[in-house]
Amino acid sequence: MTAVGPDAAFRLNVAEGRLWLQHCAGCGSHIFYPRVLCPHCGAADPQWVPASGRGVVYSRAVLHRKPKPGTDLPDTHAIVLVDLEEGPRLMSRLPGVAADDIRIGMAVQGRIEQTEGGPIVVFDPAEGAV
Amino acid sequence: MSIGLRGGAAIVGVGTAGLGEAAGFSTMDIQALAVREALDDAGLSLRDVDGLYCANMSHVFPALTTLEYLGIRPRWIDSTNVGGSSFLVHALSATMALQAGLCDVALICFGATLRSSAGRMVPAAEQPIYETPHQPRYPMIAYALAAARHMAEFGTTRAQLAEVAVAARGWAAMNPDAFERDPLSIEDVLGARMVMDPLTLRDCCLLTDGAGAVVMTRPERARELRKPPVYFLGGGAASSNRAVSQMPDLTVSATVESGARAYDMAGLGPQDMDLLQLYDAFTINVILFLEDLGFCPKGDGGRFVEGGRIGPGGDVPVNTNGGGLSFTHPGMYGIFTLIEAARQLRGEAGARQVDAPATALCHGNGGTLSHQATVILGTGDTL
Ligand SMILES: [Zn+2]
Repeated sequence: MTAVGPDAAFRLNVAEGRLWLQHCAGCGSHIFYPRVLCPHCGAADPQWVPASGRGVVYSRAVLHRKPKPGTDLPDTHAIVLVDLEEGPRLMSRLPGVAADDIRIGMAVQGRIEQTEGGPIVVFDPAEGAV
Repeated sequence: MSIGLRGGAAIVGVGTAGLGEAAGFSTMDIQALAVREALDDAGLSLRDVDGLYCANMSHVFPALTTLEYLGIRPRWIDSTNVGGSSFLVHALSATMALQAGLCDVALICFGATLRSSAGRMVPAAEQPIYETPHQPRYPMIAYALAAARHMAEFGTTRAQLAEVAVAARGWAAMNPDAFERDPLSIEDVLGARMVMDPLTLRDCCLLTDGAGAVVMTRPERARELRKPPVYFLGGGAASSNRAVSQMPDLTVSATVESGARAYDMAGLGPQDMDLLQLYDAFTINVILFLEDLGFCPKGDGGRFVEGGRIGPGGDVPVNTNGGGLSFTHPGMYGIFTLIEAARQLRGEAGARQVDAPATALCHGNGGTLSHQATVILGTGDTL
């Protein structure tokens, strides 16, 4: 039998369209990134549970790349930190929102996006959010 | 309590080499030139060095390569690497090792040829794998996120961030070794190319070559050497995360803890500091560190630096050499905080000399706001 470590387990879930987090029975905390021990209390064997995907933008930064030769088109790349409703924070992006429209504090909803490097967790503005 | 470490060692020699551009020379070459200068400054020789502290971004075994290059056989070596704050940790560790008798003369040294060799930061081997798929640009991403959060939470403005860069340039104009010495205004900073919103090119440190070295020994011997000893009065370090996304609060750095530990050991507080050397990889850093080191309440750092308060002529001298923003920044800057503090405390800083300082606080940041280390130094009058 092959052991599935925490990183592989997270990625297998994401590959199948599931955003799951670890949950610690010892202290009740949700955990991200995946680990074998809870970083809040040290308990072993955190369990996988579905995440709501609901979160709030904690901060954002926008990389401005130098325009490519022959153009003056802005080439921007926005990165966000999202605080999940369950507690953990993760780095991600909002692919469907223009960089200037990303606001700290805005409500967002996670989803899985396919990229060249594999499936990753990204966010959209939450339903009904301004 | 750390009664044994306060005044337990002194900086007796400092040196720099290859600042700016050192084309044709290796990291180890310019480091050796800085070591030579620091030992000459102290009136010591390589044969006296029996403790060695090294960290850099180019060598897995920097201390081993350094001792081989220098032809020395130290009986105690330590290559703790926590990023740009490493050298402040080294000053604390060297004080311990000197007091424990593990060595008698400790050499702390660093060199890098970022500008002439690679021209860019070397990515750390150990990458946060849950961040990298989103293609952040390190280390800038951490500081842009911290600045954006600080602005949203406390109303800090880009003009306040710019004050930090303008103050640094004001000091650099009086430092013949500084890489950037031309006049710089708030408008220049705000109008510079946006690199990572909310930070423009002028909110970001330089990328230069450069090397630095610091020699420490026990107080009895220090008093017999060439220059007035600069005493180690207190030190502290703190960290809670490697990746910026694992940092609990981007507006509060572990400096709160490292600073408290250093103040406690020194028996001094922020009101007792005559000048500050705060690792300014980005303008937001200085604002965070002024708050976290107790110079103003959390959130007030932007207002604190307004009106040229930390520049020449201001009442809180910060980064009197021009800092990483305008003096030099070979990827890791921490050692230069110690070197400038020593020169100021000895009264050797020339046109930029602060009026008769007795104490200096040096603070280093490592990684992506990952590690913080604080060292307090003083003249003989502070013992
Ligand atoms: Zn737990």
